[in-house]
Amino acid sequence: MSVAEAPVTDRAGTDVTRTGWPYWLSGYRTMLAWHLASLRMWLGVLTVVQVLAGVGFVLGFALFFADIPIQAALFVSTGVPVINLVMVGLILGPQLVADQRTSQSYDFIQSLPVPHTASALAWYTVCLIGGLPAVVVSLTVAVLRYDGLPLAIGADVVPAMMLTAFTGTMLGYALAHAISSPMVTRSITQLIVFGIFGATPILFPVSQMPAWLGSLNWWFPFRHMADVIRASLTDLSYPDLAISYVVLAVWAIIAGVLAVRALGRRQ
Amino acid sequence: MTTAIPTLESADVTLRHGAANWLRSFRLMLRLEYIGTRQFAAVIVVVQFMMGAGMAVMYGFFYPEITPTTALYITTGIPVLALIPMGFVIVPGGIGEQRTSGSFDFIWSLPVPRSAQVTAMFVMYTSLALPGTVLALLVAMWRYGVTLSISPLIVPAVLLAAVMSVAVGAGMAMAITNPMITNLISNALIFVVMLFTPIVYPASNLPLWLMRVHEVLPFHHMTVAIRSGLTDGLVTGTTTSFLVLGAWTVAGTAVTAWVIRRRA
Repeated sequence: MSVAEAPVTDRAGTDVTRTGWPYWLSGYRTMLAWHLASLRMWLGVLTVVQVLAGVGFVLGFALFFADIPIQAALFVSTGVPVINLVMVGLILGPQLVADQRTSQSYDFIQSLPVPHTASALAWYTVCLIGGLPAVVVSLTVAVLRYDGLPLAIGADVVPAMMLTAFTGTMLGYALAHAISSPMVTRSITQLIVFGIFGATPILFPVSQMPAWLGSLNWWFPFRHMADVIRASLTDLSYPDLAISYVVLAVWAIIAGVLAVRALGRRQ
Repeated sequence: MTTAIPTLESADVTLRHGAANWLRSFRLMLRLEYIGTRQFAAVIVVVQFMMGAGMAVMYGFFYPEITPTTALYITTGIPVLALIPMGFVIVPGGIGEQRTSGSFDFIWSLPVPRSAQVTAMFVMYTSLALPGTVLALLVAMWRYGVTLSISPLIVPAVLLAAVMSVAVGAGMAMAITNPMITNLISNALIFVVMLFTPIVYPASNLPLWLMRVHEVLPFHHMTVAIRSGLTDGLVTGTTTSFLVLGAWTVAGTAVTAWVIRRRA
């Protein structure tokens, strides 16, 4: 006698299909609520830290000069939003997942019956919530601090910021899920923080670096993040802007595929 | 058959006081500290190298053009940047690690004079800080091609700056029992030091109120003391800086002494 496989039912006993748009959307909503609830204590602290770091760079950079040239002020003011946008997804996210692995809650969260894409997109939304307020505050402080800052904000600020945050989040997602050792994840994020501030042309023009380091940066996403954001916030011309968008998209896709493959693996 | 009751004279009793005992304890504790820290040695080297040599290269990118004065300021600020993470990140981190793993209470329960123990800790971290500092200075000199006029003053300046940062870091980690909070303070300090402290740029770039704050804090005075040993006529007020550094060292040591003298 064979036992027929029991259909998945909800509490009322009706069948639940775990496919299709409504299911995906409900997964997205649930995971968004989940992430926000698990971060609730931290979300306030996180926003404050983000604002302080952003404003700190905008104000602190001027101290390196007796009289800061307006071009340098423009670069730091339009570079700080990049840092604000990737901070949560790329730096904090992997460390949170590393903590989940250490505290053993990782497997439980991954076993929740939610599509991986819904979960990833919910996390991306959280990263935007954690980044955008700081972007606005940093830019406002920059305008107040530097007289005559030549900002020219265009409509492409939306795709530029969305893509920058998306690529940052996907890279962080890959770091968090494709690398199983929390120690390695933490070390890599520390290294990225350090590299973002000093070895990538985010806060200053690429021409101030040695040529080889500038070329090396072409292969990494951070220079392109700075370029697309700066192009959308200023009148500076970037002839290779389309290429920058493509490079960012490619990084996002590769990182996304790596993360989803790691998530789909059975243990 | 009777067993002789051991008397104080016949028993092999080591008296636990006197200079000889202190020195022996000091040597033993130095070994213990060294063995305990050896596993972090790689981390220490990397952190110091990044904060020192790494920043030496990176600060150069901040400027559209690097004048000889800028180069001199960056080069002579780098040893300070290499010393600060030792005292304000690695020492509190090491003590925090001992608290988390539970070895903190064990170490302080050992039958050695606590002053010997603290001295061993200070000596070890101070000597660990020196190679990274010298290395960072060499990288900065190579990067900017700056010729320094080094005076004997550099020896007491670096030693005092190193001991001060270890003493204050230890005092902070001893007084604050929650490693999370110590960690937070360490990170905030590094951020403030990297941007808002006149280490790689002249103090005249600061607004007046911020300069007043740095007259009390130790970081600017570390820079003045070390810069006075590396250059000729670039800084003034060296004596004041040495006194302020001395005061911070005494304060850090006093807090440490007060905490370890309390019985748990």
